[in-house]
Amino acid sequence: MADQKKSSFISVFLNGLITENPTFTLMLGMCPTLGVTTAAMNGVSMGLATTFVLVCSNLFISLLRNIIPDKVRIPAYIVVIASFVTMIDLFMQAFLPELRAVLGTYIQLIVVNCIIFARAESFAAKNPPLLSIADGLGMGLGFTCSITLLSMVRELFGSGSIFGLRIMPEGYLPMAIMNQVPGGFITLGLMMILVNVIKKYASARKEEKLA
Amino acid sequence: MQKNLAITSCPHIRSRKTTQKIMQDVCIALAPAGIAGIVYFGARAAAIIAISVVTCVLAELVYEKMMNQRVTIGDWSAVVTGLLLAYNLPSTVPLWIPIIGGIIAIVLVKMLFGGIGSNFMNPALTARAVLFVSWGGLMGTYPITRYMADTVSAATPLAVLATDSASVSLVDLMIGNCPGVLGETCKLAILAGGIFLIARDVLDWKIPACFIGSAFLLFLLTSGFNFDYAVKEIFAGSLMLGAIFMATDYATSPQSNLGRVIFGVGCGLILFIIRAYANYPEGCSFSILFMNILTPLIDRYTAPKYFGEVKQHG
Amino acid sequence: MSTWLVIIIGQILVNNYVMCQFFGICPFLGVSKKVDTALGMGLAVTFVITIASFVTWLVQYYILEPLNLVYLQTIAFILVIAVLVQVVESALKKLSPSLYQALGVYLPLITTNCVVLAVAVNNITDGYNLLQATLCGCCSALGFTLALLILAGIRERMELSNMPKWMQGFPGALIMSGLMAIAFMGFGGLI
Repeated sequence: MADQKKSSFISVFLNGLITENPTFTLMLGMCPTLGVTTAAMNGVSMGLATTFVLVCSNLFISLLRNIIPDKVRIPAYIVVIASFVTMIDLFMQAFLPELRAVLGTYIQLIVVNCIIFARAESFAAKNPPLLSIADGLGMGLGFTCSITLLSMVRELFGSGSIFGLRIMPEGYLPMAIMNQVPGGFITLGLMMILVNVIKKYASARKEEKLA
Repeated sequence: MQKNLAITSCPHIRSRKTTQKIMQDVCIALAPAGIAGIVYFGARAAAIIAISVVTCVLAELVYEKMMNQRVTIGDWSAVVTGLLLAYNLPSTVPLWIPIIGGIIAIVLVKMLFGGIGSNFMNPALTARAVLFVSWGGLMGTYPITRYMADTVSAATPLAVLATDSASVSLVDLMIGNCPGVLGETCKLAILAGGIFLIARDVLDWKIPACFIGSAFLLFLLTSGFNFDYAVKEIFAGSLMLGAIFMATDYATSPQSNLGRVIFGVGCGLILFIIRAYANYPEGCSFSILFMNILTPLIDRYTAPKYFGEVKQHG
Repeated sequence: MSTWLVIIIGQILVNNYVMCQFFGICPFLGVSKKVDTALGMGLAVTFVITIASFVTWLVQYYILEPLNLVYLQTIAFILVIAVLVQVVESALKKLSPSLYQALGVYLPLITTNCVVLAVAVNNITDGYNLLQATLCGCCSALGFTLALLILAGIRERMELSNMPKWMQGFPGALIMSGLMAIAFMGFGGLI
């Protein structure tokens, strides 16, 4: 029984991290994905802040899932999510004011990040607390990984560095458009094509093995 | 042959005008401006034109080979894109600029959306805009021509016009003896190319006429009917090159006559706004790009009603 | 130029929430397959944002600030927006069934459209007065509608082209949006 629980915990976690990756498969939470990913550090911090809110809100909504009446569930979810967002916002203002200034309104906008809403509605409202935490962790880290990857690519071409470390040779002239809106859209589009191609290749390999 | 047959994007198989013939005509029309560029800016201009054209053709070839598609470089459209891209670069840019620009123009803007006729923005102009936004310093410094006496003043005519229109010589603007990107300076060569294309029925005069006309009127009205200033404004910068060769791209401009008038006037209006108020000194490419993205909507609302068309339910 | 013109041109073209600032991307990509639906969504959003800007401004200056509750801004605003969307939906249903039929499907989606919250928060940050805040909300929403319509127009046209299979759907829409954003960059520094 305990083993079964553990394995389902892991499978739910992996589902969020890879199979149903919120960015590349579910296409949720696009605004922060594109808005803050000009430097790798911003990507990581935004991802972790979102993960925190996601895990907490999943846990609470899952605990309250039998108490909240169906009719007012959306306002109820919003209040739960908004409370955690306010907590992390105040925390960052107190301890990480510089980072908070860079991420700006996007921190407050975690409230309307559709990943959190979608997971509350489609997972936490129907599943026990432990699994909901696993789902929150998986989805949150999946989101973190993909936006970190995106921001690394953008920082590499847009500033010639990754996490502030210079990668490109001295003579490299940064491609400024990567730090701007068009660069974000186009990089994400190209990465999505790449992910789809890899997925197709992987599933073809799997079928080959089965056959 | 009816004029509009050659211009709609449908495949008119009976028509003798193939894409290849049209594109070859455009190349011929572009030749004088290129030659003028080489005369004014030297061998480096020739090198940039060559690199740009070769990159565009190779990019299309390699992409189509990789994707196992029919190779379409025989239609000459990549050559036209390469020429237009090169004409929009100053002759002083490093030689990797046309390579990156060519790849962006062909692969990102054209081939990813299905190749010729499917792109919704002008490939050469989009590539130029990407390069301009990315490396503004390299793309925004214009060299003086080899025949300019005053080697100190290298400000573009556009920059001078805003403050002192009398000091800009209209003759220099016409023959191209002024700083600028390598294909835009010689207005006579560009106009000659445009007239050739109109005579060959390749080009519809409505878009260039509305574009240039509306820009002229706006400059005239806002300068208190300073005729001299308004004339120089439309002969300065890349307005002529853009209006004749880039705003008229078949795939990215409206099909109906009314649509073309709206497109041309829109380009003129945005060009005026950007030149007069915005960050960038020259608004020609951005004005065309903005009207490009509006083209599907313009087409949608100006398309002639088909006979027997029934309004869809819902 | 007067403040009013700056707000109008600024919110629609120069600081377009979608094309220049990355807000409201989810509905932008999600509801842009057809021009007609894009128009419906755009009108619904314009309607809600205009009212929301008005109400959240009042909430900020007549409830939160006098009571020293500014740190509850996020919660208060999102609740106002959620309630507003509900009210608008029920009101439309009763008052104008035809308009409700046209916009009804999109209304519930607006709660999670981050443009609404972003406009409300930015109105306060920028220190607009009530009338300016409402105008700013309306123009931001019109800018959103413009971007949505343009993308929908392009996507409808691309249905007819032979785009490679792996470009169809989201990857294609993202690259189209990127190219559109380049065209919007020309307006930089206009105000």
